[in-house]
Amino acid sequence: MTTLLHRRHTAPGLNELIESAPRERASLCDDHRRSLAARFRAIASVDHRRLDAWMVEQAGKSGGGFRWSPSTARRTLGNAALRRLTHETNLSMIEAVNDELMDQLLRAAAGHARRGTLAWWLAGISHAELGLVSAEAVNWATQLVEIARSLDFEWKVSSSDAYYDVARARTTLRGRRDLEIVRDDARVIVRLRSGSPGKSAGPGLRSDLTIETLAHPDGLAPARMIGIWPEAGVCLSVDGTMDDLRSGARDLVRTAVVQQRAKTSIAA
Amino acid sequence: MTLLTSPSPRCAIEALRGERTLRPLADTTTASGLRSVLEDGIYQILGTSKPPAPHVVRASSLRQNPQTTDISLSPLGRIRGVLVNQVLRLLSVGVKVERPFDEALLAWRLDAGTSELLTSLDRLDSDEMARLATDVTAHSITLIRSLGDVPARWLPRSSVRATQLLSGGSVILRDVIDLMVGSTSSPVASVALFDVTTSPLGEGAERTMRYHALVQTLRSSVVPLRTSTFSTATGEMWSLDVDAELLLRSANEVLSALESMTKSS
Repeated sequence: MTTLLHRRHTAPGLNELIESAPRERASLCDDHRRSLAARFRAIASVDHRRLDAWMVEQAGKSGGGFRWSPSTARRTLGNAALRRLTHETNLSMIEAVNDELMDQLLRAAAGHARRGTLAWWLAGISHAELGLVSAEAVNWATQLVEIARSLDFEWKVSSSDAYYDVARARTTLRGRRDLEIVRDDARVIVRLRSGSPGKSAGPGLRSDLTIETLAHPDGLAPARMIGIWPEAGVCLSVDGTMDDLRSGARDLVRTAVVQQRAKTSIAA
Repeated sequence: MTLLTSPSPRCAIEALRGERTLRPLADTTTASGLRSVLEDGIYQILGTSKPPAPHVVRASSLRQNPQTTDISLSPLGRIRGVLVNQVLRLLSVGVKVERPFDEALLAWRLDAGTSELLTSLDRLDSDEMARLATDVTAHSITLIRSLGDVPARWLPRSSVRATQLLSGGSVILRDVIDLMVGSTSSPVASVALFDVTTSPLGEGAERTMRYHALVQTLRSSVVPLRTSTFSTATGEMWSLDVDAELLLRSANEVLSALESMTKSS
């Protein structure tokens, strides 16, 4: 049985979700990792596979190719700006976002940005377009800081997403995370999402939970993974139990199978 | 005897949040009551039947009688509205806008990718495009002159979307607030909503202001301090303090709009 909870997104509701996170957590050992790798290896693939919660939610359907836009750039810039703001408290949110933009532009000007990276894309757009990118990033970072400030617990902005390379299976798993709350020795992970949660939001959250656990050096699951949809005013959460981890792993494997079948049918 | 009245605000943004010391405590209890009113009202209209597609209520659903024609909803009117909104987004993050039409168009193209309105824009001939550029520039200048600087410490965010599912998803309330300032985590009410319209203000604008406050209350569970609307056609700004009565009125307007929708469908 999995542990999906649905709450309205209010400050007391969110704090209660963190407070009530279970103390006992599951962990993934080497046997679990080997078993998962064997399942991924069984799905033959020529190309390198990259899987994340979004693909699980889309049931393995591949959308159009990725392209940078104000909406796709906002999370990277917004989270970086909030990280900067926690160190440089005298900055305003707009200044922190503009400083991040400036860093990216300097990287591109110095020739350190590869084609297709955020810095490379930002270097090619106009002043007005940069303004819009800044507005989107400010929206994201403000939403995140509003959530963080409503917490009764210590929090930090995640320094990066969780990545896990499945051994000899040409597969990389990516789990998104925005805020980390550590209480006692348990950690709660918060993800900020756009739009409204669909029917597959639970499997998406469980996939993030599984990837987060796999990426942990000791394979320790977070006590709870919370997804917040501020546009809809809704929170969903799943606990770091073995059932949820197994369910997340199954969804990831199933997504890889669906993707592989789609590729095979195109080739046929 | 000389009477001194309080000085009128110098700019729209100053009027938006008013006197800091007069702000009431944040109301975090009204939202659940409003939700019940809406759920009960929707049950009376829809009963137990589940519509094949959800009824979507937007600010435009409340703005006017469906039998009347509003020229601001024509493709050109909508394009003008979108472009002026892009100017507001740029101003909200402190960008100095010197060529409003060109800059707004660049920002919109980057944001929208492909859309029906962009296709309509691309079909305009040079005369129509020139007229649109003049129109957008005039509206934007009114906005730039009246808005004033948006202080960064007020946490401005632009084009804030909200979606509320009611009655198990049978009714969806959708809204986009052009500019929002203030914090929902503050102990006093400090969130102010600012809507920009390129039409003259009328009864519909008042309903839209109330609708913004209602959806924001349902979304965040915190009642905003104030809801305002600014017309770039006339330079007029209306502002209302948000209270339970205003929110209840908007809930009833949503239910009336839903009733009209179900009758017409």
